[in-house]
Amino acid sequence: MDKILTRYGDNYIAELTPEEIRADIEDGTADAADRAQIPPLSKDEMDYLYEIITCPQKIVSVVPGKEVVVSFDAGTLKLSVRNGIPLDRLQAILTQERALASDSIELCHVDYSYKPIKPIISEERQAMEQAQLLTTLPVLYGAMPNMGLYTKPDGPCENWAELLPAGKIPEARAAQEEAIEHAIRDIVFVASGMIESGADGINFDTVGASGDADVKASLEAVRILKAKYPTTGFEVGMAGEFNLGMHGQLAFDDEIIAGLYPHQQVKMAERAGVSIFGMAINTNSSMSLAWNLARVVTFAKATVAVAEIPVHANVGMGVGGVPLSIIPSADAVSRVDKALIEIGGVDGL
Amino acid sequence: MSKETYIKEAIESIIEYNEGKALDVMNRAVADGCDPVEILSEGFSAGIREVGDLFGKGRVFLPELMLAAEVMQKISSIVDKEVAAKGDATEKKGTMILATVQGDVHDIGKGIVASLIKTQGIEIVDLGRDVSVDDIIAAAEKYDADIIGTSALLTTTLGEQKKLEEILREKGLRDKYKTILGGAPATQRWADRIGADAYAEDAAEGVNKVLALLAK
Repeated sequence: MDKILTRYGDNYIAELTPEEIRADIEDGTADAADRAQIPPLSKDEMDYLYEIITCPQKIVSVVPGKEVVVSFDAGTLKLSVRNGIPLDRLQAILTQERALASDSIELCHVDYSYKPIKPIISEERQAMEQAQLLTTLPVLYGAMPNMGLYTKPDGPCENWAELLPAGKIPEARAAQEEAIEHAIRDIVFVASGMIESGADGINFDTVGASGDADVKASLEAVRILKAKYPTTGFEVGMAGEFNLGMHGQLAFDDEIIAGLYPHQQVKMAERAGVSIFGMAINTNSSMSLAWNLARVVTFAKATVAVAEIPVHANVGMGVGGVPLSIIPSADAVSRVDKALIEIGGVDGL
Repeated sequence: MSKETYIKEAIESIIEYNEGKALDVMNRAVADGCDPVEILSEGFSAGIREVGDLFGKGRVFLPELMLAAEVMQKISSIVDKEVAAKGDATEKKGTMILATVQGDVHDIGKGIVASLIKTQGIEIVDLGRDVSVDDIIAAAEKYDADIIGTSALLTTTLGEQKKLEEILREKGLRDKYKTILGGAPATQRWADRIGADAYAEDAAEGVNKVLALLAK
């Protein structure tokens, strides 16, 4: 039988047989089920995923009525920094709203972390006010918690990434606990300023990139902000498919943070007051699209099944089954979107 | 007690990062006449690889991984002493240069790789992150390395791994070193394409691949 044109996780073109694609789907869903202790896809779901992946059209789409909304991370960096189009942030927001029909957008600074926004908060507030005056789409403000910025020489805390390999585990844990307090203070300061300047919501991007301390700081900050601004929305997008345990003993409401997978992360996020949960599943660049997508959809289905808040799947490059490439191919991206929506049941991308 | 029981206990002691238990197992195995190198390679080393796998699944966290690596290093040094005391020729395990390539500041994964490979008695010269190809080659020459390992976490810095292969060839040094690479955007296909000797998907696989390269 003819081979089917598909992709590997690094965007390389792959020509696989139907049997190889089916085997990859089975292996991918089994891998997710084993890692997160969740149910694998059913036979019908695997058959439908096979249909999506082997569809002869270059680009696929969801069936009418299944459309979902999109939200962004690094929102105003997409057109200017990523695509090299000389637009300022306000022009980028207007382009997203009026030319690209985006459902929402995120205003952000090129120093995409909460800490460096503190000294320029007045400029950021002005940009938010201008954006709100000129647009009707929801404009969120966003940045990363980025706990690494609190370690020496950039910050006051000892560097746990250096302490851990040196065997100084209590010191590494103490440094992370100290950094959490700094991060919460900075996030609440910046987010409060932006909300009071009209932000429709606050986005926490790549939460957990520095490990479980990063997650704790973000969720504690959301809890404080939600109590302060109960009508504001908070989106939390994760860094990876499980919380990396750099500390290992940190808890949120007595539940250990490290090691949680998306279907557990979302419940913790709900308790903190998060409005939209951004699940992030890592793409394995060595494996096929079929393997990666089966895995991602398995995680998504389990997460959506337990979530009481909308789940938006992160489909940036190298995440969510999207190939890890500077320009991921449209054939792969459109299949990822369709499968995540129609099989995974996600509420947004 | 049988060798198999000692091996089982050795694996358990590493998974439990229990230094006391590990030392006890090794001491009893040696007293019973078992080959310490065999207990190390089939027991303790298998244990550290399993800890690496568990870490990859989020079931073991970084502090525990580091504790397990520490126990492993202590056991390795005991084995070295045992081998030396018997007057056996100590097998040269090798020296490895490790670096995150220029333009890339990600080094958590590389640190884990360094910790696990060290446990196998291989000397690691960790150059850190954002390291130029010239500096990597200079270090390889200075330390008379056997292997050069590079990590690239960005699609934009992946090209540095190719540059390393090219400059090694230009300088006539390519056959002097084995090269191994890793990082999220790297694949076996990439390693084959640029002419690297090996690719490792994660730290646990890195240990196996480095040992295999040294055995060549």
